[in-house]
Parts: sequence; structure tokens; C-alpha cells
Amino acid sequence: MPDSEPIGSRTHPLTGLVQGVLWAGAAMLALLGTLFTGGNGEDGLPIWLDVLMRVGGGLVVGITFGFLTWWFTRYLIDGTELRITSGILQKSSRRIPYERIQSVDIAEPFLARVIGLAELRIEMAGGRSARSSLRFLPLDDARRLRRILLGRAHGRTADELEADSVEPELELIARVSPERVMLGTVLSLDFLAAALGSVGVLAAALWFDQVLAFLGGIIPLVTWLGQIVGKRVLTQWDFTLSRSNDGLRIERGLLSRSSQSIPFARVQGVAVEEPYVWRRLGWQRLEVDVAGFGSQGDSDSADINSTLLPIADPVLAATVIDELVPGARMAPEERVQVPRRAWPFAPIGWRYRWVAADDVAFVARSGWLQRTTDVVPHARTQSVELKQGPWQRRLGVATVEVHTPKGPVDADGPHLDEADAHRVAFAQLALARKARLPRAG
Amino acid sequence: MTSDLFAPPGAPWQRVSPALTKVRRILAIPPLVLIAVITGALAAGRVGSEWLTVLFTVVAIAALAIAAWTWSWAARNTASWGYAEDEDDLLVTGGVMFRRLVAVPYGRMQVVDRQAGPIDRAFGIASVTLHTASTETAATIPGLPADEATRLRNRLTELGESAGAGL
Repeated sequence: MPDSEPIGSRTHPLTGLVQGVLWAGAAMLALLGTLFTGGNGEDGLPIWLDVLMRVGGGLVVGITFGFLTWWFTRYLIDGTELRITSGILQKSSRRIPYERIQSVDIAEPFLARVIGLAELRIEMAGGRSARSSLRFLPLDDARRLRRILLGRAHGRTADELEADSVEPELELIARVSPERVMLGTVLSLDFLAAALGSVGVLAAALWFDQVLAFLGGIIPLVTWLGQIVGKRVLTQWDFTLSRSNDGLRIERGLLSRSSQSIPFARVQGVAVEEPYVWRRLGWQRLEVDVAGFGSQGDSDSADINSTLLPIADPVLAATVIDELVPGARMAPEERVQVPRRAWPFAPIGWRYRWVAADDVAFVARSGWLQRTTDVVPHARTQSVELKQGPWQRRLGVATVEVHTPKGPVDADGPHLDEADAHRVAFAQLALARKARLPRAG
Repeated sequence: MTSDLFAPPGAPWQRVSPALTKVRRILAIPPLVLIAVITGALAAGRVGSEWLTVLFTVVAIAALAIAAWTWSWAARNTASWGYAEDEDDLLVTGGVMFRRLVAVPYGRMQVVDRQAGPIDRAFGIASVTLHTASTETAATIPGLPADEATRLRNRLTELGESAGAGL
């Protein structure tokens, strides 16, 4: 590299420590797990020493690796792009032109948050969108960087941004209180199932006086319970939904905090979920399908949450849906119902399935235990598929699928009458085509 | 209605090359016959326990039956594939028992792949696969004549770029 090329700045020095502990933590859990299920430790070594060795070894390796990664990572902001170079052995240099930046999120994993650090996650536009992340910067720096990147992405010059050092206005739409989230989680079906399961297995263990034998059944159930609580309650704590110029902003999290933006232009569909108990209370959960969210396969995918509103009443839900898919009617009158003869495929659920298309979006409804409504704007339809298996052929029904990028939205019309299915599929193609045309004026 | 359900909306379907039948048969039948021969020999030689001999016999017979069924399936399956280049979309249909019809708008195509394994190349065919932003779009046309596959791939890439509607 010629001397005149600027090298760029490093992230915060403690990055190595935090990153290492995070990695080590995951490895340690696995090691501890094998300790309980498999080997009972080396011969002659007391258990506590064995555990200490595994934990200590994991930490040392993790922190060393983390430090090395930090040492070789640099970032640079110049006239046209953000450049991130990294890599210990295999150097990689990623260039992120400002125009291609779609959204910039800030995530604060618990350990980093404790020290006051945050991670910057940058999403790029384009077909195979890629997510770049910069770990870890002091929170204020991260916020400033986000403001700069988003500003440059929307065409403002560096001078304008220097002068305007205030965070852009965010209009608050909703704040979901933690009590609501907890109540909703407790009343949701999977929590109830896991809780009942745990209690049942525990009762059976005590009844038959065979605690160890049932331990194998209790541990997965309790882990599942823990996961549900962790995912729903901890991640959605203090959920705040706001509106900015180009999209919605979601801030949430108790231990780890995350500030995520959803650009309007990237929304591919919305799914409304109403579990049985919630329906009685009028609550809904909204999930959103955003281009690029579902396709990330890295270890951070647990933090990528597609939840738009963890729990909301119908009025709020309708308002938010209207923001993202303006003009969509969630329950149009003209629907295509699943015919009675398709009952073998879903003995109870067949009555509650229908699809409909209005001017703006394609709507699919299904489910009786957990009612799901999927909304796909016509302009976001990818491809349309018509399928028929041998049993469907016998009953004269077929399935229509409206494809969207990977995410919570699943807009299908399963087991519709053949003629209807054909009509719906080709109508959807036409509607999608019309929606793709540039608007006149 | 069933026969009309997968009828092409405009021009009739363009069909794929009959060589696909041969390729499918070559790929599926020799391994099955080999399995049948090996298990049959093991069964005839009465290797292992009584129960094992019965198992080998069953496997041998099953392998032969599957091979026979594959022979006729290959021909029917090849005849079922069809594609049509409409004004704004590409339509692909296929399948004997599980029939499908996929319509992919040109503006949504992101990547168009042309692939041919060694046996495909020996018989002069190739397959073309379309990718959109959705992972559910599984639009693959197998068994196209090699030139037609190249032409289709180039044409679709061109159409995709010119009609590109982003995400």
C-alpha cells in the first residue's frame, strides 16, 4: 500500500475483550453441555478443576482471537464511501458506497452495553444485499456515525452534516410497555405449551420417583421455556416504534439494546399473528418481511428481529400497517374461500382460509388456533406459482403461492378450487405487473 | 379443468429435449441395478442370518421395481416440462404427479444460471435456473438443448436488466 493512502481508524480497544468473551461464552456453553451429558471429566481431576480448565481455556482462546481481529480491523470514511478492512490472515476490504446504504442499525449486546460500546450494522441495497458490521464503538460515536452515514446516503453533503449535529426528529408511534409484553408472552400458545409440558414432566418425575430419568425430558422443555422468555420478553423490552423520514425506527431490549431501522422501500410484506387467547383480548402481533433480513445466516441472526410490533391493539396495528402498505384492506369482502371438499388437508382449518386481492396488496388468511394474515403489496410480488399434487388433482383443488423474500410472510392460497386458483394466480401476475410500472406524474 | 389448469396462456409450451429422458435413466438406473445385484447375490449366498437374507431379498426386489418405474417415469417427466416466454414473464411448467407452474416476471429476475453436468454435456443438454429475491422461486428448466439454453439464458439476462424493478 502506498504511504499516501489513509489507513483509517480502529474501533475501540476493548472490542477485542468483548468480542472474545462473546465468542468464548458460546464455546463455553457447548463445553459445559458436554460435561453434563457426556464425559464425567478426566480421571483423577476433580470436577471443578475440569470445569475451570475448560472455561479458562475457552476465555483465553476467545480473547486472543478477539484481540487479533480488532488489531487488524480499520474503518475509513472518505468522499464517496465507507471502507472497512479486516482479516488476520485473509485480508478483506469492503467498500460501502453511500448511495447503496439502505439502513444503519445500532446494536448493543449486553457485555458491550455495560462498557458503553455499541455495534454498527450497515445494510446495503441491491439484489444480494450484504450486511456489514463494525464492532465496537463508543455509543455516541456510533450514533454520530449513523447520522453521518444516513445523511450521506440521502445525498446531504459533508458540510451540511457537520453543521447539523442534532439527531433527526423521530415521531413516536407506539411504545409497548414491558408488562404488556410479559402478559402477552405468558398468554401465548408456545409458552403455555412449554410450561404445561414442564409441569407435567416434573409431576410425572415426582410421582414415579424417578427424577434422573425424567431429567432428560425436563431440560429441553425448560430450555425452550427460557428461550421463549428470552426472545420475547428480554428482546422486546421497552419496545418503541417511531417514524423517521424514510422509514420506521424500532428500539428495544432490556440487557442488549438494539436500534433498528426499517426503510419503507424495503418492506416486502407484513404478517399479522393472532394467537387464540390474544384474539379474545383483541391483541395482535405484527411481523414484517424486510428485504435482506431473512437471508443473513451469520451468528448474529438471533438479533435480527422481524417483529414490527410485539403486541398491539387493532387500532394501532391498523395504523402501522397503513404506514407500510398504504391503502391495504385487511379483510376485503371479495374473498376466495377454500372449498369444503378440501377438508382432508386441514380438517378444522379449511373454513378459515381465504385469499383476496385489492388494488394495493394480496392478502392471505389462515389458521384457527393461531390466525395469520399475510399482506404482500403487489409491487413486491416476486414470482407466482400454481401447484397441484396427486390428491389435490383428485379433489379438483390447487395451491397458489405468491413468493416474497425469505421472512415471516407466507402468502399462500392452499387448496383452492382449481378454477379459482388459476384465476387468482394470473390475476396476481397482472396486478404485480401493473404495480411495477413507474407511476405517471 | 385439470388439463386446462396447466395450459399455456398464450403460445403453446416449448418443450425440452428428449435427451433428458436418456440422461435421467442413465443417472438413476445403473446405481439401482447395482444395488439389486449386490443384495441379490448376498441373499442368494445366504450370507448372515435368516432375517438378513430376507432383508436383502426385499431390498433387491425393491431396487428392481424402482428401476423399472424410473424407466417409465423418465419419459413421462420429460414430456411434462414446458416453458413459454410471455410478454412480461417467463412461465415454466413441469411435473407428472406434482405439477407446477411458475411465473417469473422478467423485472424480478436477479440471476440466471446455465448449468450442465458431464452426462448432460455428453448428450448436449443443459439446465437454466432463475433466481429472484425470493428463495421460494424454484424455476429450473432442465434438459434444454445446449444452444437453446445459452440463448434463453442470454435473453433472460437481457430482459431482466432492461425491465429491472429492483426490490
